[in-house]
Amino acid sequence: MNHTIHFTVNGEPFTLSVASHHTLLQVLREQLVLTGVKNGCEAGECGACTVLMNGEPVNSCLVLAPEADGATIVTVEGLAHDSQLDPLQEAFVAAGATQCGFCTPGILINSRALLDRNPDPTDAEIRAALVGNLCRCTGYIRIIDAVKAAAHAQREVQP
Amino acid sequence: MQPFDYIVPHNFAEASALLMAGNDDTRPLLGGTDLLIRVRGGFIRPERIIDLKQLPGMCDIVRSAEGWLVIGAACTMNQVAGHPLVRQEYELLAQACESVASYQLRNRATVGGNCCNASPAADSAPALYCLEAVMEAYGPSGVRRIPIHEFFTGPRCNALRPGEFLTGIHLPPVPSRSAGAFNKLGRTKIGDISIVSVAVWAEAGSRKLEAGGQSKHPERVDGATRTAADGQSKDAERLTWRIAIGAAGPTPLRAPEAEAALAEDASPEGVARAAQLAAEAARPIDDIRASAAYRRGMVAVLARRGVNSVLARLGAAPSVVGGQP
Amino acid sequence: MSQPAGKRTVIGASPPRIEGREKVTGAATYVDDMQFGPSLLHGALKRSPIAHGRIVRIDASRARALPGVRVVVTGEDFPGLTGLYLKDRRIFALDRVRSVGEAVAGVAADTPEIAAQALDLIEVEYEELPGVFDPEYGASPEAPIIHPELASYEVVPFVFPQPGTNISNWFKVRKGDMAQGWAEADLVYEHKYRVPHVQHVPLETHVCVAQQNVNGKITLWSSSQSPFAQRNLIAKALHIDHSRLRVITPYVGGGFGSKAGVSMEGAAVALAMHAKGRPVKLRMTREEEFHTTFVRQGLVAILKMGMTKDGRITAMHNRFYWDGGASTEYGVNITRAAGYSGTGPYYVPNIHVDSYCVYTNHPVGGAMRGFGMPEIHFGIEQHIDEMAHRLGLDPVEVRLKNCLKDGDETLTGMPMHPTGLSECIRKAAAAINWGQETVSYSSTKRHGKGLAAMWKAPAMPPNPGSSALVRLNEDGTATVSIGGVDIGQGALTAMAQFAAEGIGIRVEDVRVNTVDTDYSPYEWQTVASRLTWSMGNAVLRAADAARTQVLQAVAEAWDEDISDLDIVDGQVISYRSEESIPLKNICIDGVQRKDGTFVGGPVVAQGRFMPDYVTPLDPETGQGPRAVVHFTTGCQAVEVEVDTETGEVQVLKIVSAYDVGKAINPELVRTQMEGGAVQGLSTALLEGLILDHGVPRNPNFTDYRIATAVDAPLETENIIVEVPQDDGPFGARGVGEHPMVPTAPAIANAIYNAVGVRLDSMPLTSEKVWAALQNNDI
Ligand SMILES: Cc1cc2nc3c(=O)[nH]c(=O)nc-3n(C[C@H](O)[C@H](O)[C@H](O)COP(=O)(O)OP(=O)(O)OC[C@H]3O[C@@H](n4cnc5c(N)ncnc54)[C@H](O)[C@@H]3O)c2cc1C
Ligand code: FES
Ligand code: FES
Repeated sequence: MNHTIHFTVNGEPFTLSVASHHTLLQVLREQLVLTGVKNGCEAGECGACTVLMNGEPVNSCLVLAPEADGATIVTVEGLAHDSQLDPLQEAFVAAGATQCGFCTPGILINSRALLDRNPDPTDAEIRAALVGNLCRCTGYIRIIDAVKAAAHAQREVQP
Repeated sequence: MQPFDYIVPHNFAEASALLMAGNDDTRPLLGGTDLLIRVRGGFIRPERIIDLKQLPGMCDIVRSAEGWLVIGAACTMNQVAGHPLVRQEYELLAQACESVASYQLRNRATVGGNCCNASPAADSAPALYCLEAVMEAYGPSGVRRIPIHEFFTGPRCNALRPGEFLTGIHLPPVPSRSAGAFNKLGRTKIGDISIVSVAVWAEAGSRKLEAGGQSKHPERVDGATRTAADGQSKDAERLTWRIAIGAAGPTPLRAPEAEAALAEDASPEGVARAAQLAAEAARPIDDIRASAAYRRGMVAVLARRGVNSVLARLGAAPSVVGGQP
Repeated sequence: MSQPAGKRTVIGASPPRIEGREKVTGAATYVDDMQFGPSLLHGALKRSPIAHGRIVRIDASRARALPGVRVVVTGEDFPGLTGLYLKDRRIFALDRVRSVGEAVAGVAADTPEIAAQALDLIEVEYEELPGVFDPEYGASPEAPIIHPELASYEVVPFVFPQPGTNISNWFKVRKGDMAQGWAEADLVYEHKYRVPHVQHVPLETHVCVAQQNVNGKITLWSSSQSPFAQRNLIAKALHIDHSRLRVITPYVGGGFGSKAGVSMEGAAVALAMHAKGRPVKLRMTREEEFHTTFVRQGLVAILKMGMTKDGRITAMHNRFYWDGGASTEYGVNITRAAGYSGTGPYYVPNIHVDSYCVYTNHPVGGAMRGFGMPEIHFGIEQHIDEMAHRLGLDPVEVRLKNCLKDGDETLTGMPMHPTGLSECIRKAAAAINWGQETVSYSSTKRHGKGLAAMWKAPAMPPNPGSSALVRLNEDGTATVSIGGVDIGQGALTAMAQFAAEGIGIRVEDVRVNTVDTDYSPYEWQTVASRLTWSMGNAVLRAADAARTQVLQAVAEAWDEDISDLDIVDGQVISYRSEESIPLKNICIDGVQRKDGTFVGGPVVAQGRFMPDYVTPLDPETGQGPRAVVHFTTGCQAVEVEVDTETGEVQVLKIVSAYDVGKAINPELVRTQMEGGAVQGLSTALLEGLILDHGVPRNPNFTDYRIATAVDAPLETENIIVEVPQDDGPFGARGVGEHPMVPTAPAIANAIYNAVGVRLDSMPLTSEKVWAALQNNDI
C-alpha cells in the first residue's frame, strides 16, 4: 500500500508516494537520493542513519515512511548553508574526527542536535549523547574533541 | 521488511475494532523500536500496522484532578524524562527512561511500548513497579485499569485482551518526602540492554496534602503497604520501601522481603541484609548476556547501591527531595 | 633527490585529510550510494542453516516461478574453487556445506522483498554430518574430516596442508636446543589462552553491484580493500579474461581486513552473468556481515616459557591452534604469520613453535587488523608478565632485557633491523608513570597499570607489487592514480603528500583517484599496513619521475644543468640563473626553447615498487635469511579502574608508542594509534561471536557490543618513535594495524595489577572479572 506524504527535507517541501513498509531511511536514500544518510544496521543500533525530525535526532531506519507525513527533516546534506560549512563540519575535518567517514553524517547530525539543546556540553555529556552512534575507526576521542571545538567556535560567533 | 499496510485510526473505537478484527495480523505501533525490529527479523509478519500515536491524549503528560500523573502511552522516553513534573516528583522514572538505549532512540521509544513489549529487561518497568503505576487500556468493553504488576504476565506477554490497547500510565501521587534510584548494569557503560536493573524507592509513610492538590486517590492500589503514621516523619524507620528488579525473572519483580526488612532496619547491616534478600527474590536465568549467578550477585550490589543513594538523598535534604518544596 | 636546506617539506607535516570535506558534507560516494536506475536487481543469498552436512537436493523451481525473480543460481552453475592462498572455497556450496550461513544459492529479483520471498521458496535438503567446533579437537585424529579433498587443492608454495587431517597449514619453527633452554631456566611456566572469533564490524557492510554488458564485459563496483585481487580471483574462478572484468572501488566505509580478498563479491558477479545486462546489487545485512563474510579466527594458544631468575628468556615452546572455519583460503597465511612471529618481539635462543590452521565448522576466518598478532600477543604478553611477577621482577625491565635489538636474531634466523622497540617500551612506561603507586579512590574501585609490547611484519607473499601514475594537469596540479584503497586510514592524504613532495607542489594541488582497475595501476591489496611503505615508494618514484620530466625539458630549453633546477610550490626555479616559470605553463605544452620551438610535453610518469629480497623459509625449521620485509614494533601502557563489586573495567588511559620509521603525517599516525587502541579495547573487554554448534547467537549490535563513546578511554597519549626503515619512503613503515595488537594483554595485565586476577580468555567481561574475584577473594 502506498501513501502520499508531504514533508520538508533540508528546507524544501516534497510530496511523495511512499510504500507503507518502507522506512524514512529508504525514502531519503532511494527516492530523494540523499545518500549522505547511511545504513549501517537497520536496527536502531549504529546511528549512521540519524536525521533530525522536527528538530530532534531519530534513527531514520526505525521511522516508517508514512510517519514522516508533515515532518521537517534535516539530513547531513542540509547542515551546510550556501556552501558555508556548519562549525561541526569544519571541526570534524580539522580535528581528524572522520576516517572512513561512514559514521560521520549521523554523528554530525546528532552532535548538531546536542549543541542546539546544550551549547556548552562537557566531555561526559558529549560522550553520553553519542552512545547511539558507533564508530569503528576513530576511537571517538577526536569526535569528542571536534564537538567541543565546534561548540567553542559557535559561541565565539554567536555569544 | 515484507509489505504491510499502515493505518492511522481516527478514534479509540476504530483502533480497537481494527485490532479486534485483525488478530495477530494486526499490530499496534507506538515508537516502533521493538515492533519494526521484529518485523524486519521476520519474527512476525503483520498485514496491518495501526499507528496509535495520533489518538487524543496519547502523547500528553497531565495531572489528573485526583493528583495522579497521567502519562499517555505514546510519550517518548525523552519526553517523560524531561517533563518537569516527572523530574520533580517521579525522578526515579526519569532515571530509568534516560538509561534506555541512546538519545536518538529515546526520541522514538515510548514508555507505553516498553511495557507492552513486556521484555523482562524493560528498563522503565522496575521504576513503574516501585511507583505502583496503574496501566489504562481501552478495548471492546471500554476502559480497564490494570496494576503494573498484573500487566506483565511473562516474557513478551502482557495482560491486554484481544482488541485492547494501552492508552496511558497512571502514577499515584507521591509524598513530598520520597526518593528513588535506578541502577542498571550493561556490558557497555551506558545504553545497553540491562543485564540486571534495580529500582529502589522510599517514601515517608504519611500522605500529607500538598499545595498542588495531591490527595489519596480512591483507586489507589496497594495502599495497605503504607504505614499509617502522620505528620512529619523524620525517622528513617517510618519509611516505606519498594524494590523492583529487572531482567532477573520472567517479568520484573518486586522484592517484598527486602522491602519489609528495610522498613525495620536501614542501618548499613540492614541494607546489606535487604540487598541479599533482594538477590534471593530474583529468578534469573543464564543467557548470552550473563549467567544467572552473576545476575543474582549484581541484584544485591545494585540494590545496596540504590538503597544507599536513596538514603543519602533523603538524608541530605528531607523537605525537598522528590516532592514540591 | 637532494634538497637545498630550508626547503619547505610536506613530509612530517599534518595536512587534514584531502577527502575530509566530502565526508563531512555527505558528498562522499560509497557503493550503496551509487545510482543504477530502476533496472537494478536485488540479490540475496540462500544460506545453510546447519554447520556441516551433505546437500541431498536443491529445488529452486518454485523460486524461479515467482514473478519478479530474474536469476537463480546454485553451486552447479559455478563449480570452480577459489581462494587467495589455498583454493578451498566455492562461490556457492556444492555437495557439502561446512558452516552455518554458507551460501547455497543466489537469487536476483526486482525488489528486495521479492528476493527474500524467493529464498524462502528454495528447498534444500541436507544430511547432517558431525561437526568440529574446537580447533584442538579438529586437529586430533578423532575429528571428522571437513575437507576430504584437501590433497587436491591448489596452494601457494609457502603453505603446508596436511592431507587426511583438518590441518590446512602447519608452520614450524625449530631453533636451538630445547633441553638446554629448559635446563637453564629457573622458572618454566605453561598456560593456555583463548581468543574467540571476533568480527571487524566496518560500519559499512559488504556491498557490491555487478553488471555484464552485451559484449560480456563485467563491471563490479565493490566496497573492497583489494580491487585487483578481486579481479584476479573472480576472473579465475569464473573463467573470465582479466581484461573483461573491471572492478571499481569508490570510498569504503571501513574494512579492517574483512574487505580484503573475496567473500561475497563472486556471488554478485555470478548472478550478473545471468541477468541479461541488468545490474545486480548484493548488500550484506548487519547479521550477514557478522558471520558470513569474514571473521577473525579464534585461537587456542598453549605457551610454555623458561626464564632465569634475572629475567632472561631461555626457551619458548608455543603451540597455536587456529580455528580457521569452514574455509581457510586466507587463514592459512595468518597461521604462517603467527608462526614466524610466534615468540613475540623477543630474542629467544631455543624455540619450538607450531602454528596449526585447523578447519572447523565455524564461520570463515580472514584477515583482520593485526593479522594474528593481537591473538598471539594476548597470551605471550600476559605470560611474560606473569613470569616476571612470579620471579619478583619488574615486567618492564624483563621486556627491556629480552626485547629484540638491532642485529639480534629473530626466531626465523633473520637479523633484526634497527628498531625503536626499547624506546617505545621506555616511553610508554614513562607516560603511564610506571612504578609509581596508583591511587585507588575507594576500596571497591581499584586502579592498576599494565603494559604490553608487540611486533608485526607485513604478512604477504614475498613479492607483492605496487605501482603509481602521476599526471600533471593544465593548471599545474597533479592527478595521482593508485591501486590501493583509502579505507579510512588516510592513504589518499599520505599519497598526496608523497606526490606533492616529490614533484614540488602543494598538497592541496594533488588529487588522488580512487580505484578503477581499468585505469588505475596495479596494487596487490590494501592490507598488511603496507601502503605507506610500498605504495608510497611507488608514488614517490612516479612523482620523482614526473619532476625529472619537467626539469629535463626546462634544462634543455634554458640550457642549464638539471642539478641547478628545482620545483618549489609549483614554480620551476633555477638556483643558478634565478629564473623561474610556473609549472602550469609548461607541464602540458612543454617549454619554449630560445628559438621558439618547444621541448617536453604532457607530463605522465610512473613508478613501481616490489620487495625483491624476501627469502623462503625451511619448511621443517622455519629458518631462512629474511622471512619478512620488516617489523613495526611498539608498546602500549594502560591504566584501568576495576569495580570489585561488579567486575566492570573502566580504561582510564591508553598510551601508545610505535616505531613508524618516519611519520609522513603525524596526525594521521596518531589517529591510527587512537582508533586502533579503542578497537583493541573493544575486542578486549566486549567482543566475541558466540557460536553454539556453529550457530551465531549474537549477530547484531545489541548482543555483539562494540565500544561506544562512553567506553573509550578518558585519556590517550600517542607517541611517535622514528627509527628509519632503510627501504621506506623517507624511512616510513606501516602502522595501520599495530595499534590494536597489544591492547588486550595490556588491559589484562592492568586488571591483574589492580585486583590480582589473571584472565586467560577474551573478552575480559565484567562477569569474568567478578567471577575470578569471587574465587580469589582479595
Ligand atoms: C537499539 C535498541 C536499543 C534498545 N535499548 C533498550 C534499553 O536499553 N532498555 C529498554 O528497556 N529497551 C530497549 N530497547 C527496546 C525498545 O526501544 C523499548 O522497549 C521501547 O520502549 C519500545 O517502545 P516503542 O514505542 O518503540 O514500542 P513499539 O515498538 O511501537 O511497540 C512495542 C510492542 O508493543 C506493541 N504495542 C505498541 N503500542 C501498543 C499499545 N498501545 N497497546 C498494546 N500494545 C502496543 C507493539 O505491537 C509491539 O509489540 C531497545 C531497542 C533498540 C532497537
Ligand atoms: S541504520 Fe539506523 S541505526 Fe543503524
Ligand atoms: S570514521 Fe569509520 S566508522 Fe567512524
